[in-house]
Amino acid sequence: MSNELTPEEGIFPADLQPTNSEEPVEVGDFVETMTEDFNDQSVGVSEQASKEELIIELNRLVDRIRAYDPDYQAPQFSPRGWLEMLGENVQHMAPEFSQKIYEKAKGAFSSDFFDPDTWKGLWFMLNYTVEYQTDFFKRRLTGEYEVDEWGYDPEFIGLFKPFFDFMYKKYWRVQTSGMENIPDVGRALLVSNHSGQLPFDGAMIGLAVMDEHPCSRLVRSLYASWFPTLPFISTFLVKMGQATASEENGVRLLEQEQLVSVFPEGIKGVGKLYKDRYQLARFGRGGFVRMALRTQAPIIPVSVVGAEEIYISIYNARLIARLIGFPFFPITITWPWFGLFGLVPLPTKWTIDFGEPIPTDEYGPDAYNNLNLVSQLTNQTRNIIQDNIRSRLAERRSIFTG
Amino acid sequence: MADKSVVLVTGVSKYWGALVAKQLLDRSLPQLGDPKPAMGILQVIGVDTEPPKVEIKGLDFIQADVRNPNFLELLKTEQVDTVCHLVLDEDSRPGETAFDLNVMGTMTLLGACAEAGIRKVVLRSSTTVYGAKASNPAFITEKHPLQGDKKHGATGHLVEIETFCSGFRRQVPDMILTILRFPGVIGPHVDSGLTRYLKQPIIPTLLGFNPLTQVIHEDDVVAALVHAVFYDKPGAFNVAAEGNPPLSKLLALAGRSSVPVLHWLAYWSDPLMRNHWPVDLDYLRYSWVADLTQMRTELGFVPQYTAEESLREFAGAQRLGKYKSQEPVSAKDEELLKDTLERRRRMKEQQAATPVD
Repeated sequence: MSNELTPEEGIFPADLQPTNSEEPVEVGDFVETMTEDFNDQSVGVSEQASKEELIIELNRLVDRIRAYDPDYQAPQFSPRGWLEMLGENVQHMAPEFSQKIYEKAKGAFSSDFFDPDTWKGLWFMLNYTVEYQTDFFKRRLTGEYEVDEWGYDPEFIGLFKPFFDFMYKKYWRVQTSGMENIPDVGRALLVSNHSGQLPFDGAMIGLAVMDEHPCSRLVRSLYASWFPTLPFISTFLVKMGQATASEENGVRLLEQEQLVSVFPEGIKGVGKLYKDRYQLARFGRGGFVRMALRTQAPIIPVSVVGAEEIYISIYNARLIARLIGFPFFPITITWPWFGLFGLVPLPTKWTIDFGEPIPTDEYGPDAYNNLNLVSQLTNQTRNIIQDNIRSRLAERRSIFTG
Repeated sequence: MADKSVVLVTGVSKYWGALVAKQLLDRSLPQLGDPKPAMGILQVIGVDTEPPKVEIKGLDFIQADVRNPNFLELLKTEQVDTVCHLVLDEDSRPGETAFDLNVMGTMTLLGACAEAGIRKVVLRSSTTVYGAKASNPAFITEKHPLQGDKKHGATGHLVEIETFCSGFRRQVPDMILTILRFPGVIGPHVDSGLTRYLKQPIIPTLLGFNPLTQVIHEDDVVAALVHAVFYDKPGAFNVAAEGNPPLSKLLALAGRSSVPVLHWLAYWSDPLMRNHWPVDLDYLRYSWVADLTQMRTELGFVPQYTAEESLREFAGAQRLGKYKSQEPVSAKDEELLKDTLERRRRMKEQQAATPVD
């Protein structure tokens, strides 16, 4: 980073005061911006103009730290303390951040290493980063973080989002349509086909709405009551803001004006064999329609194409499943033969279509007791999803490229 | 109704009984509720197998056991209006003694109350009666079936008592039977399953499981019971503090760290380790958070402490107070109680005979 920092233009004038004109930034944003700045510098190494620009940029960054946290004081600078801190903390920092530092250190001019301001600048920012990150863990350990009544933990999502972002954008190259059918505010019930042996489709629907919907809404998936019996997975799902599939939970979430997604095929859908792909299984007992009718929430049919081919399941080993207490045990062409590597899904091309909402407010609040209506709406939803899948399949030329 | 409503509190020498009796006598009503309590001036009779360790001012103490066959006589003679039954041995180890005291004691008492035409009975129960199940809804309403583990000491007893009560309600429709279901009680003084769990040197949890939890502050338990005595609210109600932190957050707020144990190892060693686990393992695995809508609307009670506040207070004032009662044999003596009642009757006659100046 340091090639630009000449002694005359050092980033820490003694009279530097926090500027109030800058709005305080989110600390998370701040750390990200910082890494971006490290990147940008390599572009204009030789040009004086961009050099100055960057110095201004860096000075502004320091101002922003001070504006955000006026009380923050970096400890007294000393080369020895610097080295100690670097040695102690590099492995604790976010990997991308420490990697940037190493890269920059490689590309810097040797004269920069003799420039005290270089080290002072790094000292200030590293101290801040370390403090921010230790603060995060300290708050976790002392319980000073917020979860909602369902256990949804917004900070927790940040830890896993990069992985799912990669799967969404690079691996499955998910394409969406009909995002305008999802309301900006208020309740709605997303109903989708279910497949894929591991419920990646739920995660991708959630990510699609979070990233591509203009209001970036959180989708609350209702999952089978088998998942809470599994360690880690149970904790993960709760922290992601999801809940077990029961009418009480669905109704309560919808009454809180949430976006709820259900998979009426349930376990039957997840454990679908490859030969049965895109054939919708029985749609539960119509519980999702009762949920929608009780809360008068619109039903949005969602069809996911691509997820049904991520594992080629050829057999359901019921006996093994019963022995280990699983609802099904798929034998795919890679699992369990290749151990954990067999769990790597195929990089199919996905499309997620959000269909036109089916209104349910015209039936009145007691309509959920009308068995006839419930089964009629169940079939209607199922047919729409099946039709959308069929038309998508007709357009598709290849499983892998779409 | 008599000009003085008589409230009988059982288990008055134990923690809850003493506090409830004291609160009733202080007449410090909870801050919420309708302005007209159903009851007038109170006379509080305390019943227990031994005298209170600390004297409660104004308490009318009778040494008796609820299983005493002459208890019915006591209810009739003293013209009791409301019975607040707080005798409950919460030892997690199942045993005949505890079963006899908890289940048989409550059944006998309810039978006597029906016979004596008692207007209202208030019972203390626990939200553990719903059981910790993977299929539980996130917020369990009062109507949810009671699936608590019957093998597990106090929880099993409470399930039996509550099952009995639902039948009893139909048999005696005129009686107001209020059951308050509390989650783990926390506070600086109380000795409950939860505080015992949190005071252990090593706190075991199940690796990879982090259920949502619910707590209630000790003061709010007392306030809720007093509220139920003052206002007529038949039915069962969940009563818990606002907020349901995950177990990890609960431990963090209580200032404790935990040791995660592989869950299958824990279940496998459960028969041997039973006495060392404070609660049934399922309660550390699945959420059993009760819905509080009925508490706010029907019961009209709002706990003063939130979950976070009570946990922080606990962390601040953590201290140990093992508290265990021992029953003297004499309290079960029929003759002794008969004599006591006779003595009291005589005293009352004397009082009535003395002209008031």
